Amino acid sequence: MRCPIETEEHAETLLAYCANRLDPAQAAALERHMRSCAACRSFQEAQQTVWEALDTWEAPPVPADFDRRLYQRIEAEGYTWWQRLFQPFRPVLLRQGLPLAAAACLLVMAGIIAQRPGERRPAPAPPAVRVESVQAEQVERTLDDLELLHQFTEATGVEKHSPDSM
Amino acid sequence: MGGAAAALDYDAELMLRVKEGDGASFGLLLEKHRSAVIHFLYRMVQNHAVAEELAQEVFLRVYRSRSTYEPTAKFTTWLFRIATHLALNALRDGKNERGQESLDGSVAELPVRQISDAAPTVEQSMVYRARLEEVRRAVSLLPEKQRAAVLMHKYEEMEYSQIAKVLGCSESAVKSLLFRAYETLRARLAHMA
Repeated sequence: MRCPIETEEHAETLLAYCANRLDPAQAAALERHMRSCAACRSFQEAQQTVWEALDTWEAPPVPADFDRRLYQRIEAEGYTWWQRLFQPFRPVLLRQGLPLAAAACLLVMAGIIAQRPGERRPAPAPPAVRVESVQAEQVERTLDDLELLHQFTEATGVEKHSPDSM
Repeated sequence: MGGAAAALDYDAELMLRVKEGDGASFGLLLEKHRSAVIHFLYRMVQNHAVAEELAQEVFLRVYRSRSTYEPTAKFTTWLFRIATHLALNALRDGKNERGQESLDGSVAELPVRQISDAAPTVEQSMVYRARLEEVRRAVSLLPEKQRAAVLMHKYEEMEYSQIAKVLGCSESAVKSLLFRAYETLRARLAHMA
C-alpha cells in the first residue's frame, strides 16, 4: 500500500478509517501500513482524539412541545387575516361561544314569533267599546236596583234618627 | 447504499403524499428527522432557543413548499440545505450572540454522560464539563462552512457528495473543507489525548 500521507487521497482515506467508513479490506491494508509508518500512525491517533472528543458532545433533548408549536404555526398560516385577528380569542369563543350563540338564536326566534301577524294577540278594548255593547234591559235593571237601594237607605235612615221608633 | 436508496424513496414518497394533502405523512417525516435537524442546528448556533426557532422554521418551510416539491434530490439533502441556509443566516445576523456569551453557563444545563454504572463523582463531572466546553469552543471557532461540513460528516454521517449538494459546492471542495477543519481541531484538541 502506498503511504496515504504522500498521496492526494491521504486525508480522505485516514478520515474514513477514523470514521469507520472504510471497507474491511481497505482498513486492514491501512492498519498493516500504519504498523511501519509513524507519520500515518500519528495522524490517525490525533484524528481519533478529535473523533472521541466530538463524541462527548451530546445535543440536548428535543423540547416536548416542539410538534405542538409547529402545528400551531402551520394551522395559523391557513387562516385569513381576520381569522388570525381572532385566533387569540378562539379558546374563549369555543368555550363560551356556543351558549351565547344559543341564547342569541332564542332571542331572534322569540322576536320573529312575536312579529307574526296571524298570531298577534288582540289588544284589550277600551272601556267605551264595552259600554256600547251593554244591553238596554241591563241598564234599566241596574237603575231599578239603584232606586230600590235608595229607598231602602232612606227608610232605614228615618228609623235610625226617629226617637219615637225606639 | 441500498439502505440509503430505500430511505430516499421512502422520504420522497412521504413528501409526495404531503403534496397530495396527507398530513399524517408530514407527521412521519417530522418524527423521523426532527432530532437530527434540531441537534445539527444546536451545534451550529450553540443556543437552545435559536436552534429550536430555526428548526421550527425549517419544517414550516418544508410544509410551505409541499405544493412545489419535486424529488430531484435526497429528501435529507433538501432538508439540511434549508437548515444550513437558515443557520448560516442566523450566524451572520448575530442571532446566536446570546448563546456565545453564555457558553460557560449553558454547559451546566447539559446532561453529564455517565460512563460507568456508578454515578460520576464531582471531579469526573467537572472534568467532563471542561472537556465538553473545550470541544464546543473549538467547533464554534471554525469558519461557518467548515463547521457545517464537520457536523454533517461526523454526526449525520453524510457522504461527501451529499454534503457538497447541501453546501452547494463540489465534492473536492468538501474534502478540502473537512481536511482543513479536522486539521484545526486536531491542533486545538491534541491535549485531550
